[in-house]
This record gives sequence, C-alpha cells and structure tokens, in this order.
Amino acid sequence: MRDKLQAIVRNLGLYAILSPTFLLLAVFCFVPFVWAFTTSLYDYEIGGDRVFVGLANYGEYLGDPTFWSSFRNLFLLTLVSVATGVVFPLGIAKLIFSLSGEHARYLYRVVFLVPIVVPGVATLMIWGGMVYGDNGLVNELLRLVGLGDWARGWLAGPDTALWAVAMIGFPFASGINILIFYAGLAGIPESVHEAAWLDGASGVGKFFLIDLPLVLSQIKLLVILTIIGVVQGFQGMFILTRGGPGFRTMVPGLWMYFNAFSFQRMGYACAIGVVLFLLILVLTVLNLKYFKSSEDLQAAL
Amino acid sequence: MTRKRRDLVLHAALIAIAFLTMVPLLFVLNNSLRTNNEMYHAFFGLPGSLVSIAKFTWYELTGQPDRIRLRADEQERGETRAADLPVQTLSYRQAMARLGDDLSRGYRYSWKVLRPYMVNTIFVCVVTAVGVVLIGSVAGYVFARHRFPGHRMLFVAILSLMMIPGVLTLVPSFLLVKQLGLLNSYGVLILPYIAGGQIFAIFLFKSFFDGLPEELFESARLDGAGHFALYWHIVLPLSKQVVAVVGVMTILGTWNNFLWPFITNADARYHVVASGLYLMGQSQVAANFSTMFAAYVLSSIPLLVLFIYATKPFMRGVTSGAFKA
Repeated sequence: MRDKLQAIVRNLGLYAILSPTFLLLAVFCFVPFVWAFTTSLYDYEIGGDRVFVGLANYGEYLGDPTFWSSFRNLFLLTLVSVATGVVFPLGIAKLIFSLSGEHARYLYRVVFLVPIVVPGVATLMIWGGMVYGDNGLVNELLRLVGLGDWARGWLAGPDTALWAVAMIGFPFASGINILIFYAGLAGIPESVHEAAWLDGASGVGKFFLIDLPLVLSQIKLLVILTIIGVVQGFQGMFILTRGGPGFRTMVPGLWMYFNAFSFQRMGYACAIGVVLFLLILVLTVLNLKYFKSSEDLQAAL
Repeated sequence: MTRKRRDLVLHAALIAIAFLTMVPLLFVLNNSLRTNNEMYHAFFGLPGSLVSIAKFTWYELTGQPDRIRLRADEQERGETRAADLPVQTLSYRQAMARLGDDLSRGYRYSWKVLRPYMVNTIFVCVVTAVGVVLIGSVAGYVFARHRFPGHRMLFVAILSLMMIPGVLTLVPSFLLVKQLGLLNSYGVLILPYIAGGQIFAIFLFKSFFDGLPEELFESARLDGAGHFALYWHIVLPLSKQVVAVVGVMTILGTWNNFLWPFITNADARYHVVASGLYLMGQSQVAANFSTMFAAYVLSSIPLLVLFIYATKPFMRGVTSGAFKA
C-alpha cells in the first residue's frame, strides 16, 4: 500500500500531463454517456420540470407510430448499404489490384479518393437537387431517351423515396473502402497465389476461392462499420426528406432528433438513443463472436 | 488473354466507374457557370458565356470584330422581355467584361455568403487538429514509454470510450453544453471534437511510440533531458508521419460534421461550412441555381488543397493497422 502511494507521488508529473486528456474525456464523453441513461427515465423539456417516469419512455416508444416503419426502413437501408459498401468497393479494388503497372494502381486509388474532398452535406444536397430534382439528372436523362413519362420527384414519391435514398452514391465507389480492400488483397502472401496457380485455379473461381476468404477480415470490418454508420446516420434523411413522405424514409435516429430538437422531448429522445445504442452493441458483439475472420480461417486450414 | 489486352479491359472498366462516380460533380462544375435560364432551356449543355468567350475570341483573332454582338445588358432591361432586348455590337474588351461577369456571377454571390463560414471552419479545424495532435501525442507518449499505477486501467478506459456511439450522446451532449453555457461559441465547436478525436489519436501515437527503441529515450534522459525536452526534441520530430495522419483525419472529420454545429449554433456568426451550406439551400440564395453549385465547388477547395499535399499520409491513415478487424 505504502509502495503504491509512493509510486503515485513519484509519478504525479505524469498524471498532471495526462490531466487534460481525462478532464476532456470526463466532461464531454463520460458525462453525456451517463446522462443518456438517466435522462431517458425522465419526462423533460428544456426550461420545464424533470418528472421521473421510470421506463415509461421506453414503453411509449414500443407503441410509437414510427416504431415499426422506421426500423423496417433502417433494416432495408442497412441491407442495401452493406451490400453496396462491400460488393462494389471489393470489385473495384480487385480490378485495380489486377493491373500490371504499379503506377496505374496508385493513380486509381487516388482518383477514387478525390470525391471525399466534397463536404458530406454538399454531396447530399447535390444528390437531392441535381440528381433527383424535378429538373435533375435522372429525369432529364429519361426525357432525353424519350421516357419522359417516367420522370417524377424521386424523393417525394411514397414508392420511390426510400430507394432513392438508398441509391445515393451510385456507383458506390467509396475510396476508403477500396483502399481497405486493396490493402487486404495486397496482404495475401505470394505463396498462396502460387499454390492456387499450381492447383489450376484462375479467374473468377480463384477470386471466390482464394481472394474472398482471405479478405474476410476486411469484409467483416466494413460490414460492422457500415451497420454502425447506418444505424447512427440520419443526416441524409434529415437534409433530403425529413423522414417523408409520411414516414416512408423515417429512421429511428431522425425520430430521436425530431423529438429532441423539434418537440423538446429530451427524455423520450434519450430513450430512443439508448435503444439504438443497445442495438449497435448487440450487433457488434454478434459480429465479433460469429463472423469468422480470415485469421481464424487460416489457422483452421 | 495477354497481359496488355487484360490491362486494356481493366482500364476501360475502371475509367467507366470513375466517370460514373464523378458525373454529379462534373454537372455541378458545369452548372455553376450557367444561368437559371440556360438550365431551364437545356439541362445538358455547356455554359453559354464560356461558349461565347471562345467564339468572340475566334472572331477577334480572325479579324471579324463586327460579329461580336450581345443582347443589351439584362440589368438595364426594365420591363422588356429578355428576348426583345436589342442586340448590340460591342468591342472585344466590353464583351469579355460582360461575359466574365455572367460567368462568375454564381461564384461572386456565393463567396459573399460563404466567406465567413469558411473562415470559421478553417479556424475550428486548425485549432481542433492542433489540439488533438498535441494532447494525443503527449498522452500516447506517456502510455507507451512510462509505467505508473493505474497505467493499464486508464488506457483501457480511454479505449472503451471509443465504443460509445455518437447517436447515444448527441442529445445529452447538447443538454451538457447548454448547461455549461457553451451554446453559440467557438468552444462548443472545438472542445467536444478534441475530447472525442484524441481517443483515436492516443491509440495511434501509442502504437507508434511502442515501436521505438528504448535506447533513444535512455540516452536523451542521460543527457539530462526532462519530459518536455524529450517530447519536443525527440518524440515530435520522430512522429511526423503519425502527426500528418492524425491531423488530416481530424480536419476531414471536423470539416464534414454537420449536425453538431447545426444544433449548437443558432447565431449566424458561428456557422461553419456544413451548416452554412444547408442554411443557404433553405434560403433565398438557393433560387439562383448557380450560386448553390458554386458554393459546393468553393466549399470543396480547401480539402482539395489539403488532399493534394496530404495524399500519402491520408492513404497511410486509412490502411494503417488501426483499420484491421
């Protein structure tokens, strides 16, 4: 005990150096984390009284008119995002990796990164106005080829809004995902390629039998990152559709936002936040536990 | 297939995909130079004033100055319809001035609105990045090169905070900064970013410092270097790469953050580019399409400049060990 105390005193300087880190973390990360749970137990408007209501906010959320439709939308958007966020970048990374020139391979990796310089909000507004607008790219292209009857307000139609949101970013050539997959492909040892060649594997077959299993840890990473991103992400819907028409593009995060900042229901909003947190937690744990990584596969071979 | 043929096919596929990716951006660039009228008239088309500039320059060079003709200035037209305005023969110089005016109108208007937002964002980004690098590198160094009571526990505590999703803390964070009286200030834009951003930075710096040989620090300490001298003369110069990665990632994240600045700053003085663009889109300014398109272009330039200088650290950041599951 005495030794420990002495050690602490001896290292006081180090603790002092670390104090800004822990002060900032305690105030801006830990306090909001705790408040999220405590506030969710209250009925609370800014400026009004806090009334303790126990788990009533959670109970109310289960019966919320947006509950089923928003989670259905979230599920659909997640499926599409996971598929597009893995398939397209992996395919593009494979195309780039198959080039024979080192210089060209570098160049393409840089080219696909360039769109990240456009602010996310600008990208969304560009899609909302210039691509999906009444006089936007999609409608004008349809008119150009004589299919003017099909032109419509893609984000405003109850049947098209959710799909229009899901298709934002086509052809989904996310530069970051491409880089991650490229690093994975480049990390496959040469001996594996040689063994595959000796066994007569080539082309598409080799891609599915060799490359795919060996970039599984990258796939796993991007799947979980994409899911976490979609569950948390409601910026696109906020800017483009505000959850409409009706609740057709409503997602739980956006409903949380509206409850907090439009309806002033802070307690209820925090309860929705906690539900989303638990969802992310469960998905992360499931992913870590049941989705085998390439290291496990290699160990098993 | 021969190697050459195969490469050709790959290039064709990749160029097609890259083109599709860039199509919206190319249209933004093109339409930022066109008037509303031109766009209503024909969605697909080059900027009229740009075409005229090329045409008139040709006339001037080939000695046909009498063909440099433009409709009278729209601003003086009063009640007359644009199509009924008289066509005038202008000198090359006058015509260029008019056309240049038309061409840059969107950019001039949007720059007026956007400039204060740009200044704010650059200020916030730089302060945040410096803060994250400073605090992150110091803490990373302490955790990598020193052992003290609670060493492991504190580091695990920091890492576990990384698992807290933003969607959980958005509303309570707002309640917190409101209680702290930070709403409508630069503080609300900077302090939470440094607090959150340092976690990943500490992680990256620690793993980098872990890999450095102890002898380096030993000999410096023998020479009588204190904590500060050690940090300033050895730690920082050695970790230039990590500094670049952390700096670039922090700036990128800060520049793109929309919701937090949007909800914490009602005062126009503290708007940043992301929230400012959204508010521009909701305002009268957006009635002029080219103003919005020009704003998208202008708001991308700072990061484009950063990207040109920092492609390598950026790519290293994405593919570094931190991004493996």
